Formats: sequence, structure tokens, C-alpha cells
Amino acid sequence: MRSFLILFKNELKLNIRNMNMVIFAIIMPVIVQLIIGMLNGTNPAFEGAGYTFMELSFGALCTISICAGGLMGLPILVAEYRERKILKRFQVTPVSPIKLLTVELTIYILYCFLSMISLFITSKLFWKLSVQGSWLGFLASWILTMISTFSVGMMVGGLAKNSKTASIYASFLYFPMLVFSGTTFPYELMPVGVQKIVRLFPITQGIQLMKAAFLGLPLDNIFLSVVVMGMITLICTGIAVRYFKWE
Amino acid sequence: MQEVIKVEHMSKSYGNLLAVDNINLSVKRGTVYGLLGANGAGKSTTIECILGTRKGDTGFISVLGYNPRKDRRRLFENVGVQFQESHYQLEIKVSELCEEIACLYKSPADWRELCTKFGIGNKINNAVKSLSGGERQRLFIVLALIPNPELVFLDELTTGLDVKARRVVWKILMDLKKTGITIFLTSHFMDEVEALCDEICILKKGKTVFYGTVEEAKKLTDCEKFEDAYLMLAGEEANANEVFFNTI
Repeated sequence: MRSFLILFKNELKLNIRNMNMVIFAIIMPVIVQLIIGMLNGTNPAFEGAGYTFMELSFGALCTISICAGGLMGLPILVAEYRERKILKRFQVTPVSPIKLLTVELTIYILYCFLSMISLFITSKLFWKLSVQGSWLGFLASWILTMISTFSVGMMVGGLAKNSKTASIYASFLYFPMLVFSGTTFPYELMPVGVQKIVRLFPITQGIQLMKAAFLGLPLDNIFLSVVVMGMITLICTGIAVRYFKWE
Repeated sequence: MQEVIKVEHMSKSYGNLLAVDNINLSVKRGTVYGLLGANGAGKSTTIECILGTRKGDTGFISVLGYNPRKDRRRLFENVGVQFQESHYQLEIKVSELCEEIACLYKSPADWRELCTKFGIGNKINNAVKSLSGGERQRLFIVLALIPNPELVFLDELTTGLDVKARRVVWKILMDLKKTGITIFLTSHFMDEVEALCDEICILKKGKTVFYGTVEEAKKLTDCEKFEDAYLMLAGEEANANEVFFNTI
């Protein structure tokens, strides 16, 4: 446990020094939120809706940091550590690979958590956000979304040959998920064909779940969402562990 | 004397290239062992197979009584390694790197003390990338010693250092040897090998061409200088002369 904390402290320092995640996971979501807030204020999401547009988007805003961490930060970091032979250095010490990966994972979880808290505080302060549904349900959906997205990142980081290919794979996942999963553009407004494809993204399912939990709306295919995200987590984690390479 | 490293009939090929061909090695406790050979002779592959970071095709390898691939975590509790190229996180500071390595062991040495002993005590708050070549090499000796190891691997530790820095590193290694630690090193500097190594093994195209002490190598080849003996044994002399005459 002591070694976990020391690794965590130092790796977190390095990560903050790098600034990428501070910008893309903490600052960027707040900027998107400010824009949404300035455009919509505390108006209802649509005529007759019992919730504001900000409340409707809260879950989606929380996934910006999940995308940045899971689909950009994590896979590129793992691939870079392998390419720069930092993992190889660790290979000739008694550390277990699972401990190392858990340290990095925890750092990205922390970013996502801080992002959610900061989004909550600003929207509470400026736009009187209130949770209409269940906080617990929302948190559970948030955790599931994060874990499934991170497992995709772990797999990409594990399979990519170097940080360059990792960042190419990561971009292929990051941008479509950011644009088409409902993070920035509402899922409901997409053509049915596109909806069918993006339904397989863990983020899409996650946003639907978070939205429903946050607003207290009934969701008929809750089972499907959980199954899609659970399957993705299992498959991707399995591949990441099976194909883990120090070098 | 106890055997610390034992390698029997080890071979490793990459595709069609036989990088290491049926090598046997035995390193005794408390000695300095030198693995020599030209670039591409198979030194790094041999070290990597001994460490278990690469899998040999055939052969038996035992380090401190452990199988390096199966008992990785127990083995590296007592072994320090310095790779040919130093690997570290881009923005990391000396203190952070030392701390990260030290925390992985059950009873590590005091890294601050080691840094002071090796003359980089005033650099611990600097970024590793800002250190000079000599300072960085000394840092990597510190890292290899943090485990309080019984055995250290030093791969081309002095390559890229100036004469003075090289002498400082020698002194450090001599002192280390007195503490009873076993040192396995590779080097391209024959004066260094002569000064430090109790036993040597010379590789040529993956095969062992000489095995014994520096004195034995000189006697065998009838050379006064070890460097000449090495060149003769490693088969580099003919090539070296050829290149020399072709260029003049």
C-alpha cells in the first residue's frame, strides 16, 4: 500500500506537470458547460419539460473527462511508457504490472471525479442545478461508464506498438465518441442509422443511463445499457491483461 | 565459491539470425564479471535472457538460484540493473525517480545517502534530463544500488563518459566490490576491463571465443596489452587493420 501511494503521488505530479489532462479533463468540460449555460441559462430543456437544458446535459458533460482520460490520456501514457522503456525498467524490479496500471488508472479516475465535482459546483452556483432523480443511480452509471471506457483505453494502450500509433487509435475512438455519443450533440437528434451504430459505444449507453438517473426518467432498456458496458469492460480488460507487454 | 549466475547451453535467434549460440557462463559470488564483444556480438541479448526480459530459445538459466522468468518478483528484490540506455519519465526529477524505485523494495537503501556518496546529493531536486552525462550515469548506479542488491548488472556503464568521469565510476565500482557485491558488466573499454574484471567472456557473432581471466587471455594470445589480446580473440584485429589501411 505504501508503494502504491508513493507511486501515485509521483506519477500524479508528473501528470499534472504535463498539463494535458488538466486542460482536457478539468478546464475543457467547464468551458463547454459555460457555453451551454450562457446559451440556455435556466430555461427548461424544451417546452413543457420539467428539467433545464443544463440538467439534461449534466451526464454528457461528465463524460468529456472520461473520454479525455480513458481514450486519450491512459492509452497514450501506457504506450509511451512502453516505448520509452520505462515499463522495462519496472520489469527488473519486484513491482507487479497490475499495481503499476492501477496507479495510472487511479490518477485518471481522480481527474474524472474532480471534473464531475467542479461541473456540479459551477452549475449549482450559476444555474441552480438540482438532481431530479437519484444521486446514487447517477453515480453508479457514472462509475460504469468510466470503467468501461477506461477498459477500452487499457486495451488500446496494451495493443499499440508505440505512442504514435496509440494516439492514432485513440483519436479514432475519442473524436467519434465525443461527437456522436451524445457528449456534445444530443443522441436523440441523430439519424436512426447513426443511432444504431453509436449505441455500441460505452459512452452512448453511459450517457443514456446517467441522464435517466439524473432526471429521474424511466428507462426501458436499462438492462441493455448495463450489458453493453459490462461486455465491453470484460472483453477489453481481458485483452489488455492477456496481451500486456513490458516492452 | 558460490555460483551467482549459471547459464548452460543458452541460444537465442531472431528469425534466421542466431544472436546467441550455445553460451555457458558461471559467475561466482563477490567477483566482477565482464562480458565483452563487438557491437552486435550478442552481449545485450545475453544480458536480457539472463534477466528474463527476453526469452531464450533453449538452455538453462539460474540467477541467485531463481529462474528469472518464473520468479521475477523474488529475484529482483536482490538484483539491481542498469540498462545500456537510461529510461526515465520525461519530466521526472532525481528525487522522484529515486523515490519511485525505492518504494518497490522491502528494505531499500537510503537513496539520499547514496546520492550524496556518489556526488549528486545537491542535484536531487533537478530534472533528470538536466543532469550531465556523468551525473546521469552516477544516478543510474544509485538506482541499481537502491535494492541493496547482492548482484548488479551494468550494461556499458561508462560509454559516453569523459576520462575523468570514467575514473570516478571505476573507483565507485572498486569500492562496491569490496562490500562483497557481485558485478556483471559489459564494456568497450579494455583498460577498464583489465582494471576491474576478475573473469571475462568474449563473444563473437553469438559464440563464446574466450572464457577466463585477463591474464589468461594475454598469455593465450601472446600479447602484452590486453586490448591487443581482445582484438585478436574477438576477431576484430583483421577488420580493424583493413579499415585502417583502406582509409589511408
